[in-house]
Amino acid sequence: MVELAETRLPRKQAAYTPKDEEFDLRSQKYKGQQYSHLYYCRLHKLREVLTSVAQQSYPKARVRTILGLEEGEDCIVIGTLYKQMQLKPSILDEYAKERSVIPLVSPRNFVHANDYLILEDESGRIRLVGDTVFPTAYVTGVVIAVYGYEGSDGEFVVKQMLEPGLAPQGQFPSQSSSGEDKYVALVSGLRTCASEANPLQFQLLVDYLTGHLGDEKEQSAAAKVVHVVIAGDSVHLQYNLLTGQSVQSKDQQKLVEPIKELDLALTQLAAAVPTDIMPGSNDPANFSLPQQPLHACLFPGASVYSTFFAATNPHCFELDGVRILGTSGQNIDDLDKYSVADSKVEFMERTLRWRHIAPTAPDTLGCYPYTDRDPFILNACPHIYFCGNQKKYETKLLQDERGRTVRLISVPRFCDTGVAVLVNLKNLDCHSLSLSTDMLKSNGI
Amino acid sequence: MDSKRKAGNPSTTLPPSKRVQGNLQSSAFPSQPTDEEEDYDEDVFMEELLLRDEELRDSGIEGLSARLSRWRRPQPQFDFKLQNIVFQQLDIDYIIGESNKQLTPQRSGPVAILRMFGVTTEGHSVCCNVHGFQPYFYISCPDGMGPDDIPKFKHILEAKMRESNRNSKSPIFITNVELMHKRSLMYYQQQKSRLFLKITVALPTMVAACRGILERGILIEGLGQKSFLTYESNVLFALRFMIDCDIVGGNWIEIIAGSYFDTGRKLTYCQLEIDVLYDKLISHSPSGQYSKMAPFRILSFDIECAGRKGHFPEPEHDPVIQIANLLTIQGEDKPKVRNVLTLKSCSPIVGVDVMSFDTEREVLLAWRDLVRELDPDIIIGYNICKFDLPYLIERAEALKIVEFPILGRIRNSCVRVKDTSFSSRQYGTRESKEILIEGRVQFDLLQAMQRDYKLSSYSLNSVSAHFLGEQKEDVHHSIIADLQNGNAETRRRLAVYCLKDAYLPQRLLDKLMFIYNYIEMARVTGVPISFLLARGQSIKVLSQILRKSKQKNLLVPNVKGQGSGQDTFEGATVLEAKAGFHEKPIATLDFASLYPSIMMAYNLCYCTLVRAEDISKLNIPPEHISRTPSGESFVKPVLEKGILPEILEELLAARKRAKADLKEATDPLEKAVLDGRQLALKISANSVYGFTGATVGQLPCLEISSSVTSYGRQMIEHTKKLVEERYNIKNGYEFDAEVVYGDTDSVMVQFGVSGVEQAMKLGREAAEHISATFTKPIKLEFEKVYFPYLLISKKRYAGLLWTKPEVHDKMDTKGIETVRRDNCLLVKNVVTECLHKILIDRDIPGAVQFVKSTISDLLMNRMDLSLLVITKGLTKTGDDYAVKAAHVELAERMRKRDAATAPSVGDRVPYVIIKAAKGAKAYEKSEDPIYVLENNIPIDPQYYLENQLSKPLLRIFEPILKNASKELLHGSHTRAVSISTPSNSGIMKFAKKQLSCIGCKTPISGEDQTLCKHCKGREAELYYRTVSNVRDLETLFNRLWTQCQRCQGSLHQDVLCTSRDCPIFYRRKKAQKDLSEAEVQLERWDF
Repeated sequence: MVELAETRLPRKQAAYTPKDEEFDLRSQKYKGQQYSHLYYCRLHKLREVLTSVAQQSYPKARVRTILGLEEGEDCIVIGTLYKQMQLKPSILDEYAKERSVIPLVSPRNFVHANDYLILEDESGRIRLVGDTVFPTAYVTGVVIAVYGYEGSDGEFVVKQMLEPGLAPQGQFPSQSSSGEDKYVALVSGLRTCASEANPLQFQLLVDYLTGHLGDEKEQSAAAKVVHVVIAGDSVHLQYNLLTGQSVQSKDQQKLVEPIKELDLALTQLAAAVPTDIMPGSNDPANFSLPQQPLHACLFPGASVYSTFFAATNPHCFELDGVRILGTSGQNIDDLDKYSVADSKVEFMERTLRWRHIAPTAPDTLGCYPYTDRDPFILNACPHIYFCGNQKKYETKLLQDERGRTVRLISVPRFCDTGVAVLVNLKNLDCHSLSLSTDMLKSNGI
Repeated sequence: MDSKRKAGNPSTTLPPSKRVQGNLQSSAFPSQPTDEEEDYDEDVFMEELLLRDEELRDSGIEGLSARLSRWRRPQPQFDFKLQNIVFQQLDIDYIIGESNKQLTPQRSGPVAILRMFGVTTEGHSVCCNVHGFQPYFYISCPDGMGPDDIPKFKHILEAKMRESNRNSKSPIFITNVELMHKRSLMYYQQQKSRLFLKITVALPTMVAACRGILERGILIEGLGQKSFLTYESNVLFALRFMIDCDIVGGNWIEIIAGSYFDTGRKLTYCQLEIDVLYDKLISHSPSGQYSKMAPFRILSFDIECAGRKGHFPEPEHDPVIQIANLLTIQGEDKPKVRNVLTLKSCSPIVGVDVMSFDTEREVLLAWRDLVRELDPDIIIGYNICKFDLPYLIERAEALKIVEFPILGRIRNSCVRVKDTSFSSRQYGTRESKEILIEGRVQFDLLQAMQRDYKLSSYSLNSVSAHFLGEQKEDVHHSIIADLQNGNAETRRRLAVYCLKDAYLPQRLLDKLMFIYNYIEMARVTGVPISFLLARGQSIKVLSQILRKSKQKNLLVPNVKGQGSGQDTFEGATVLEAKAGFHEKPIATLDFASLYPSIMMAYNLCYCTLVRAEDISKLNIPPEHISRTPSGESFVKPVLEKGILPEILEELLAARKRAKADLKEATDPLEKAVLDGRQLALKISANSVYGFTGATVGQLPCLEISSSVTSYGRQMIEHTKKLVEERYNIKNGYEFDAEVVYGDTDSVMVQFGVSGVEQAMKLGREAAEHISATFTKPIKLEFEKVYFPYLLISKKRYAGLLWTKPEVHDKMDTKGIETVRRDNCLLVKNVVTECLHKILIDRDIPGAVQFVKSTISDLLMNRMDLSLLVITKGLTKTGDDYAVKAAHVELAERMRKRDAATAPSVGDRVPYVIIKAAKGAKAYEKSEDPIYVLENNIPIDPQYYLENQLSKPLLRIFEPILKNASKELLHGSHTRAVSISTPSNSGIMKFAKKQLSCIGCKTPISGEDQTLCKHCKGREAELYYRTVSNVRDLETLFNRLWTQCQRCQGSLHQDVLCTSRDCPIFYRRKKAQKDLSEAEVQLERWDF
């Protein structure tokens, strides 16, 4: 259907290296592990970082464990935060004595004015108090260092909270090949066959990326797209049809239709441009993070192409040496439920500063009970960090005092907005690509 | 149960009482003699308890005393010469000691000295020794005996007493005999007074001895052999004192400066210790400023013992390793002291004083010192009376620490250990020791729970889940020893757990307002607080009768329960229930306090009852006699006002006052006191009826109780008649009213109107109209409307309750309760959900559908196992049970598998019913839920369907649904059945596993294939199915395990909890296992 060879404009290429090994679960099994090991690994790993951060800020203060605290002495404690939240839903609510009068519809955000923070290390727990403690900004599972002293009533008075800060970043590749513009396209929330999704809109996107739209100028722009990443929630599945009883044949159709439609589009796309597909919260993949790649049997068409790559969520890869990390959005959505920030990009920035992309896992975000490591710790800071399935397109170029630079992108749901995002690998510039069925336009930012 | 109810035995026909929070004494009156212990005094000589000084060694523990001194009571600044002492007394007992030479110079030798322990407003502890009060009782003076015969009579009695008490050290037995003008409480008498002899004896136990002699009869010169009926000879000495001095439990006592002596010798650990004559006490009635509570100290504690594997800890072998303590001052919301004593080192805990010791001896002695220095007035805990305290005492005995048991307030005085045998149907017979700690009230929350609330389980975990809404981490006792043998960290873990167990009783105490409710109950009924938990119910009524009799110069005869407990009388009436689903509002007309009202209205009392033989003899004008429907005669108040009606009037008037005050009170503490009081008053009023009907009780009088119920029946019938006569179309009403049901004290009327508001209006009007036809104070009240109302049968109904026309208040059910111990959670869930759907959603098809899908889930093996678990307590080992019981057999089998984790006596055994060979006995089909999960053993869905679900479901649905049984239990949804294959059964060892197609279960040959060729096309759909199963399980796994982490309060430590009472325990296990299985399924796709 698509004959690339005949196109006059050759598509640009970029060297692609997947870095998903961290998130591969194939060697892992559920054998009765618990989550404590994951917290242990997290604390252990980040403690080294925080110790040096803390010692730079307060060279004279001693680092103590919670049990080793001495009343009144200024010191540093490193531990995992636990946020006590009265509105936090619990599975025990199901067993409440009487059916609650309040409907069990969960509110969007569980933050309450009475929430408070507790710091925990292997030895114990202590409540954090003080003017510098803002429970709304933090969530359970973040590892931090606190500088302060133990008060008389067994609480820790915090003078300053210290975060690990951005992880070391690999060298941004110097543009060897004459500084060409090369773009990576990010799209999420296609939700094929959902009531709100417009099939034509999606087809327009595919046509644009494959170079079947517009004049030569448009086509040359499309030819600069070297890679497409579909960040989760690509199909709309009616899980309610799967009840355990055998599925009616007409329902079988309903079940399979979305994935067929997606496969069709992906086949076109993969034929033209290297395409990664990540699983999202509603896709036919497992639920816990890291989500494993969507199974090849779902894509009989697209999986034939070597340019088609089913990735994990989170997904990490390098294009021409530019490190790109992204999720389908669950980590940020969960932060949005249990903490407060002005924008989604701010949440993303926090995860980078905490050096952990999913601190609420496993507390409120499902994840695999690792015993040997915590794959969500950022050992290296990416150059591009994106998060899918958000309400609107937001972006920010984050730079820290050491010159580390990260492009943060909140990728909106395509089915609601018709927006995809293009990032220039040369200079991390970023713009959105709005597609609508009555007009085609491109907005640079 | 039903057959018993009809028999009109007062123990089951409860005095009408609405369900109220804190339903004290809901168990009404005991009908079995085993439940009611006879109250008797026990003379204890002070020197018997005292240890000699050389036996006493200081615990000599360093660092302890500094800590202890911080926690002491404030030091009193007190001038014994000038200041009055005002204190709230909490405990009253007596001891035999030498008579006080200053206060009672006329007596020598051993005398009974009463001790009142209490607390002043400033929080100082007081011990007040009361002298000069002597035990006594009455007998009727034989005809022909005059004042001149008294010395002779006294002499004979003294000689008789000496003869039968040769070993007594007392130099004198009968201290005084005097003639008094009194009257017996029993039966109406026209004569206003007769002569009685008041016999005063030297020591309290002599009352019973002397009573025995007199009842058997003595030979009196000139009168011949005479036996006597005694009066007030069964009154406990401390209670006698309280009645005579007008002291009620927990009230304030004042002693004016100068009328007391400061005890020079410090006999107790109390801060203020005084001696006083009994007539110098000023007792303040608990009202106004004296209704407050003193800041008394409450110690909550819990111990941990390291049991050997497979055994419940025994004090002869197993050490006490930790004791957690929490001291709270009444009225403060934060504990003052939190500490834990541990054997061997223990890492610190934030906010808690951890004190570690190298030897068990030090731990025990440190606790002794702690108790002494903290000086608690009330000691609370969970099951402390039956476990913790006896264990500590016996452990100290085993370790030969003689100085340990000085826990009371008397210097050098050991606690008294009484062997008791505690028996009840639920618990079987248990030998245990009762520990008496002088001067400190023990309040065991377990006993209070069992007495006041009907729960399916009384474990601390389920009780706190029920009342506090939180789960408690439960560490199995086989792990405790491991934690103890670990390091300081693991012991810290244990200490945290132990502290929580000490904290929860305190929270329960606060939440359920036990202190307020019990102290108010003591004040209302006039008995010491310690009686409320430790003694039977009837003493509370008896105390009131005795007090009232004293005012009226009446004497209460000592009539032993003559009845064998088989005398019965007709109970309350129950109108025929018109079963069905009533979709029109049902107005409920209630008699307010029916039985007390009847007793007041018709002047029913011991002293107004006219015996049949007396009616003609006494020649009472007929207009002054009321004949009850049961054929008894009572005189009207003009001739004699009964004391029971008077007691009731006072109680109800006091309740009215308390309720009025409650409305105006603003201070939450004051509110708590008042609410506790009005509740206590109400319960006390209702229990008077039961007292008269308790055939083995203190003063049974079936004439009264049968009259009460007969009036009650008459009133219900009368109400029914009036309602149906008045509210009908003939009289211009829109519909014919119909009484659909009536029970004891309420009548349910369907007026026919469809609006709640109209029904309320008619209900109110009817109540007023009918009330007017009754003798005051009997009153019919309109309170609530049920709409809709599902009436199943007598005493079983459910409905939505409305008290205001806008919105319903709640769902109210009766007799459908699912808290029965041998029900599994599934029953409760299904019943609740069905009722919800039927009554609130008004969706009967939805309810039917729900039942069907639940049954289908059950048959298809998709049920959450924790819903199927049945739990029973193991009270003795298998050999001691006469009949084989499922849980006992299981415990035996588990012991054979692994003795270390098997349940032992005292544990609760959870089990599920599994499929077994045909003809297997029910008790052979029980199995450990964990074992079932691990080995894929199929459960027996038929058992659950037939023995658990069917009855309650049919009860609900039969009034609604035609062919309910057929529709619900035998429909098409019951045809698909799935049974898991056990992984451990014998035959499976020989079976060869073969892979089958995930789609159609056809066996397939290739190792690397997932689907057969026919199913290839459905690949995507079948993959969805596998993956969605994994998704669901992962979600569940995550939510369950993180919840357990939150519950245990630690992220970095593994979850250890094995609380089988926790609803998610089995789910957690199952999710883990199911997930690894689902993963294997998912992996088959990775070819």
